Amino acid sequence: MSKIGALIFGFNEYSLEIANNIGHKFGEIEIFSMSGAKEALEKEFAYPINRFDLSEDWGDLNERFDMEKSTAFCTLDDTAENIFLTISLRSSFKNLIIIAIAQNKESADKLSLAGANKVIPLVQTTSAMIADMLDKPVITEVLHNILYEKSSLKIAQIRVDKDDYFDGKYPTDIEWSREHGVIVLSVMHEDMSSEFIYSSKAKHHAIKNGDIFVVVGYERDIEEFEKLIGSRCDVSWSHWSR
Amino acid sequence: MFKGWIVDIAYAINVSDSYIQTKRFFYNLLENDSYRFKKYFDMVMMALIFASVFIFIREVKYHVDDSLLFFNNIIISLIFLAEYLLRFWISSSITEVIIEQSEYDLMLSREFRLSKALRKIARQKLEYILSIRAIIDLLAILPFFHQFRLLRIFILFRVFKLFRYARSFQTFVSVLATKKFEFLTLSIFASIVIFVSSVLIYVMEANNPDSPVNTLYDAIYWSIVTISTVGYGDITPITYEGRMVAMIVIIAGIAVLAFTTSLAVSAFTEKLDEIKETKTVDDISKLKKFYIICGYEHISKEVAKQLVKNSNSLIVLDEDPKRVENAKSDGFVALNYDPGNIDSYKRLNIDLQRQVKAILCLRESDVENVYTTLTVRSIHKKIYILSLLMKEEHRNKLLYAGVNEIVYPKELVGMIAREFVGKPVAFEVIHALRSDYTNINIEEIIITPRMLRNAPLVADLHNARYRVILLGVYKKERKRFFFNPIDSTILEEGDYLVVIGNVLFIREFERSLYR
Repeated sequence: MSKIGALIFGFNEYSLEIANNIGHKFGEIEIFSMSGAKEALEKEFAYPINRFDLSEDWGDLNERFDMEKSTAFCTLDDTAENIFLTISLRSSFKNLIIIAIAQNKESADKLSLAGANKVIPLVQTTSAMIADMLDKPVITEVLHNILYEKSSLKIAQIRVDKDDYFDGKYPTDIEWSREHGVIVLSVMHEDMSSEFIYSSKAKHHAIKNGDIFVVVGYERDIEEFEKLIGSRCDVSWSHWSR
Repeated sequence: MFKGWIVDIAYAINVSDSYIQTKRFFYNLLENDSYRFKKYFDMVMMALIFASVFIFIREVKYHVDDSLLFFNNIIISLIFLAEYLLRFWISSSITEVIIEQSEYDLMLSREFRLSKALRKIARQKLEYILSIRAIIDLLAILPFFHQFRLLRIFILFRVFKLFRYARSFQTFVSVLATKKFEFLTLSIFASIVIFVSSVLIYVMEANNPDSPVNTLYDAIYWSIVTISTVGYGDITPITYEGRMVAMIVIIAGIAVLAFTTSLAVSAFTEKLDEIKETKTVDDISKLKKFYIICGYEHISKEVAKQLVKNSNSLIVLDEDPKRVENAKSDGFVALNYDPGNIDSYKRLNIDLQRQVKAILCLRESDVENVYTTLTVRSIHKKIYILSLLMKEEHRNKLLYAGVNEIVYPKELVGMIAREFVGKPVAFEVIHALRSDYTNINIEEIIITPRMLRNAPLVADLHNARYRVILLGVYKKERKRFFFNPIDSTILEEGDYLVVIGNVLFIREFERSLYR
């Protein structure tokens, strides 16, 4: 039976960092390297390392993984090769989630065109982080702690399953922070458009089943809130691509 | 006994705080270009000079009020006299010479030689008095003796004093001084041509009754007018031989003029970069709060753009001229200084503690960043340093060198990937809050005493009324973030409110706190 896994293309520091960070989400993580020179490291490395070349038709992958639900990370050092790899994967697997790394904004645009669901432009991401750390140090620290779970504060996505609890109320009618100890940042509707909680659209949209709230709060409060209105949900990338 | 007193007095003066402070104040005011009040002092002095010259010109043909004459002859002269005496005072230190001599003699176990110290003091002071600047200053005071009519012409020396206050003129002179040898050679050539042609024209024309050249003075005047290519035409040679001389002088004149012009131009071209650099350093020293970006590569370029977009000032230092050119063409203030060299920071003439917000070591090389960090740390222990880390194994080295904050792009990618696959919606929401693409922002508002009077408690903020979410309060004192604070939370000066909302609503909310 084919498995859902994370396929990381490229054997470098980026791919190792990614592998170390996504272990909680994927049971199967495999690294694909174009050069065999570093395979000696495999013995010391926790993840299996496979060899590949850009001319492959990926038939082998199709047999081993459920490519509809798996995620591929394209982290090749050479931009042109990375773009070629992305196109090659996308042409073979329509629904594969592809996350690619780009050196700059220009190659990020090309990778998006090549079919990547999400691109991380390294230079822009790092510089934005540095500028934020200098200009808005408090916010950066707070968000960093929330997002990367370095404090007891968490951010979660909660799907509304019990809309009778709200009884046709609008999101702004409820004092979330006072009543539930959580702060609702935004509401994602069934049509997958995400709205800020105080936006005029969210204001005039009665809460109903299927809405997803993005909430910030302490783990216990989030759990309580979750029991009350629905369940924590994972939104698949296939549903979420801009 | 007497000598002992003198040494004691010298020591007492040399350690007196008020004496040191007073002398430093006048030194800064008169000589230190980076002292912020000097420019005002210079402006006042320049205004006095212009006023003085204006009165002088007016007096030639019209009656000038006695009070104005009193102001010109007495007040301005007294001010200039005071300035002259102050400059004389700060030009060298008498007490230090006495102390130095006494310690020297003491070390050699012999009696203090006062006469030697006095000779040294006299030499130093005389050196100052005989300097061109001091002579001009002194001559500018002379119109004080207005009863001697001849001395009044010295008022024009006040115009020369202008050069002391106009730095552009000093730059001009210093640039031309680099071509001293060339100018000297040229002037010798011109002098010889003038001398020879004057003598020749005198010999050829003086005996001709129709010729306007009658004296050697006429001949020299004609030579200078001709060689300078001015050629008034009031004196012209009429003899065949005289005209031959004229042709030679005209040709020599063109050569002299062309050489002079090209010398001045080449002097300026060669010094242009230096002049620009001096101007840039001067501008930098006037900045109040700015970032220093060390190294101009991909990431630093983007960081610089972001910081400038958020209304920050910054300067770029890089040892590579090409990268400096790139930074300049991108519109940043950049200097071709090596950020890893202590001398670079000294040449900048800035107060790191007061003027610099942070030093950003953004070279994409850990070796360079460690080196720069160590350099900065060696001159300032407390300044905030942020550095880029390219390889994890070098993290400890950067920390050991004294970096306050490290940004490791690979770690960032790992964390982003973690969130991407885990909570994409939450990630996008946070990302949208931080980016400028949407109108919804997350911002920090610092609590001021005025805000505290209006809203001492969280309940008094009424943020919901402005459709603004209060995510929490960051207590600066405790360095702790209080998420979703209860209404009775007491706000303190210096706390940060972390709020989320539409940019306009946040502004409105902020304004409401000031009302």
